[in-house]
Amino acid sequence: MWTCFLMTLTVYPLLSLWTLGSMAVFPAAFFLFKFGTRWSTERIVRFFIWIYGRGWIALVSPFVRFSRKGLEKAQSIQPVILVVNHLSFFDTYCMALLPFYNVAVAIRSWPFRMYWYAPFMRMANYLDVETSGWDGVSLQAKKILERGGNVLFFPEGHRSRNGALGRFYSGAFLLAVETGRPVIPMVISGTDVLLPPGRRRLHPARIRLEALPPVEPRRFSGPTAHIQLKKAVREAIGRRLAEIRTER
Amino acid sequence: MTDKEIIEKINTALAEEFELDEASMLPEAHLFDDLELDSLDLVDMVIVLEQTFGFKIREEEEIRSIRTLGDIHAFVIRKRHQRLQSS
Repeated sequence: MWTCFLMTLTVYPLLSLWTLGSMAVFPAAFFLFKFGTRWSTERIVRFFIWIYGRGWIALVSPFVRFSRKGLEKAQSIQPVILVVNHLSFFDTYCMALLPFYNVAVAIRSWPFRMYWYAPFMRMANYLDVETSGWDGVSLQAKKILERGGNVLFFPEGHRSRNGALGRFYSGAFLLAVETGRPVIPMVISGTDVLLPPGRRRLHPARIRLEALPPVEPRRFSGPTAHIQLKKAVREAIGRRLAEIRTER
Repeated sequence: MTDKEIIEKINTALAEEFELDEASMLPEAHLFDDLELDSLDLVDMVIVLEQTFGFKIREEEEIRSIRTLGDIHAFVIRKRHQRLQSS
């Protein structure tokens, strides 16, 4: 209990400081990168978001043990469509565990209302799946993939309230079928212990991010190809999630 | 097949496809607000209904006006009756 108290009392202020510091440094760092690397704006901002996530990992690491598995395979076949189960607000921060940074996240509208993060999310070309409509999201995602970026979806659409894997929405899988890009199913666990939905108090946790073997959309055909792909990926994530929980 | 059986078949097919809680599948349930389906789910729903009942409905203009589960029931029942009359 005292560890939770100490963790909550230290991590939130440090995260606020890290956020403010990052925002203060960002403009100068951005222009240095822009002229030094000639990278696109979205790529540079995604890189800084990844660095910011790494900073968050360092901040919580006295209380949280991180492990990752199988992510290198995804790195070797980029661009890919990443799909991951959703347990906590901090799941997106944990995407800094990925060994690559060029990732645009598809999310609902409400994170775009966090005014301190929203400008960065827009510059990084994150996808607002709730207000853009599927045609807009699909077009935006296809352009990102064409430019070599990866797209990450939380196919459940919202955080699980009981830890169980929810039903999957089809967007990520339709995109995979339409573009032919592989889907990387990923399993995250432990963030529901760190900060479950509806809570504010942090709790020490062991967080694990694991990538499962890629699923090629060309394995499925016909008008239901994306539905079959969705079912295959959901089954793989559900099975691995259950195994991980048994191992705990 | 009676109307009741058609409704049960629709509910079973949709519950299985979209992992819906059968208790929430009331005729007045709004597809977006109550059952939390999205626009892509509606496309998938049409495919599921076509496979379940063996007819083509994706070009039907009436689908665009469907809002509730009851609208789906009524639409499919009407299509089934039309099909029986024409055959």
